[in-house]
Amino acid sequence: MDWKLAAGLGVLLILPFFVTDSYTRHLFILAFVYAILASNWDLSLGYAGLFNFGHIAFFATGVYTAAIAAKTLGVSPMLTIPLGGATAALTALIVAAPVARLKGIYVVLVTFAFSQVLLQLILSQSHITGGAEGMVRIPALQIGDYKFIRDFKFGYYYVALGLLVLSTFYLLWLTRSPFGKSLLALRDNEEYAGARGISIMRARVLALVASAIFPGMAGSFFAIYLRVASPEVLGFGTLSLVLSMVLIGGIATITGPIFAAFAIFFATETLAGTRGMEEFRFIIVAVAMILVLRFAPGGLARILQVFQFKKNRVL
Amino acid sequence: MPVLELRHVTKRFGGLTAVDDVTFGVEEGELLGIAGPNGSGKSTLFNVVTGIPFGASSGEILFDGKPITRMVSHRIARLGLARTFQKDAEYPDLTAKETIALAAIYGRGLNRRAAAEAAETQLEAAGIGCARAGMLTTALSVYERKQLMIASALVMQPKVLMLDEPASGLTRPEIAALNAHLVKINKGGVTILLIEHVLSLLLSLAERLIVLNQGAVLAEGDPQEVIRDERVIEAYLGGRSA
Ligand SMILES: Nc1ncnc2c1ncn2[C@@H]1O[C@H](COP(=O)(O)OP(=O)(O)O)[C@@H](O)[C@H]1O
Ligand SMILES: [Mg+2]
Repeated sequence: MDWKLAAGLGVLLILPFFVTDSYTRHLFILAFVYAILASNWDLSLGYAGLFNFGHIAFFATGVYTAAIAAKTLGVSPMLTIPLGGATAALTALIVAAPVARLKGIYVVLVTFAFSQVLLQLILSQSHITGGAEGMVRIPALQIGDYKFIRDFKFGYYYVALGLLVLSTFYLLWLTRSPFGKSLLALRDNEEYAGARGISIMRARVLALVASAIFPGMAGSFFAIYLRVASPEVLGFGTLSLVLSMVLIGGIATITGPIFAAFAIFFATETLAGTRGMEEFRFIIVAVAMILVLRFAPGGLARILQVFQFKKNRVL
Repeated sequence: MPVLELRHVTKRFGGLTAVDDVTFGVEEGELLGIAGPNGSGKSTLFNVVTGIPFGASSGEILFDGKPITRMVSHRIARLGLARTFQKDAEYPDLTAKETIALAAIYGRGLNRRAAAEAAETQLEAAGIGCARAGMLTTALSVYERKQLMIASALVMQPKVLMLDEPASGLTRPEIAALNAHLVKINKGGVTILLIEHVLSLLLSLAERLIVLNQGAVLAEGDPQEVIRDERVIEAYLGGRSA
């Protein structure tokens, strides 16, 4: 594991012992969720080269899976987390069926339309989903007598961090495996890859499904943690915020979007708390995204790599 | 029985017939040359046979006696029909070794370790040293890239290898080395179909030559006789002056 990741993980592991107020911890928990969303999107967008604009639908699937399972069906909240991963994978399988045969802009249209269909489904099936109002008072996480909300969200912090760590190891392992390499091969030269035995359809379906599992689990965690499920998660705001994290962080790097998720999330939260900046913050993110794409299309991760490369050369 | 057989294969692009009713067979172990002026449909013929990126408009293609006319490209490759591309094909983010190992894993079903070993063997045969094997393919020389494309095909242990202008852009000594390499591959039991513009290479290697013109087979037979055929000479000269 590279030292930057190890250092970051070390800091995050001991952080709750120094940061004891529940609001800051709350922000970190949300940042972990965004980091999971952004880095997993990088798998389908950056590695597989699929312009998948339905990524947030996997997250929303997790949110509603947990809400319905825990509140309506009485499933233990802890169990809804893996369950959300499974239903999100299933959702990905459904959207993959048409996407595996399409290219470029058509993938954008179909995946975005898919997430809108999901939104309509949630709004129209209000007896199950609560419609536009969503669902509230979803059972919270608790093991025996221990409530995860206790001690200023101490437990929730580590569950969210645990999910992010698992997700990151999973993504790094996957992208360094032959499967990950086959995605790069297909992305960069579909004809050559096909001529060397790589199935385009199979790789695309697998990439979409693989990129949906952790966002689904993060969605379930999100619902259990906030104890609400709202159709707002499928809005354009979430989508564009997470997209900016992937692009600014640097596609096909996994760690880039994770670092960018932290940077952008805390930046927007700070701006949201600054008077006069509340409405302005998304414009700032958009401008940052345009600047990065214009002057450093590889994103922040590539800038760091170039810097390191030069440093090594001098030594 | 021919290992590869084309029956009345035709490919149309709108009004243009790029491959026009082509019929021929390739015997096992043969080295068949394919020539023809620019735009005569040679590359399109390879594309149609391998399903990349399109299949035939009509006609039938048999590999090992089984129809592959409508088969997807990765299946054709796994059956043992491998090809290279006229323009350089590579994966910019992969190393030479990864490129070959990937073909061994997906094209031949080897596990990771066996694929790494097979890749090393192929790299050695291709004359790409250890230090260069770990470099990104975009950092390799033209000759190395051409060799890499052939190596990534050979690692799948194909029955038939289809080469689309492997000598283009190479220097004379490199062409000589390629010549020797192809003889070795063919002696090793791999049937070869060779499209080539470098006529000397084609004439030194091919046991039989097919000349295409405007998508159709113009002449076929002993290479030395075929290139003296008046229709062939005219097609080449006509193609050049046009
Ligand atoms: N994908 C395509 N779409 C339309 N026309 C094509 C396509 N591929 C090849 N052609 C046309 O088919 C003809 C044969 O091309 P090609 O097979 O590349 O010739 P060669 O390899 O013999 O030089 C040319 O006229 C070319 O323009
Ligand atoms: Mg050609």
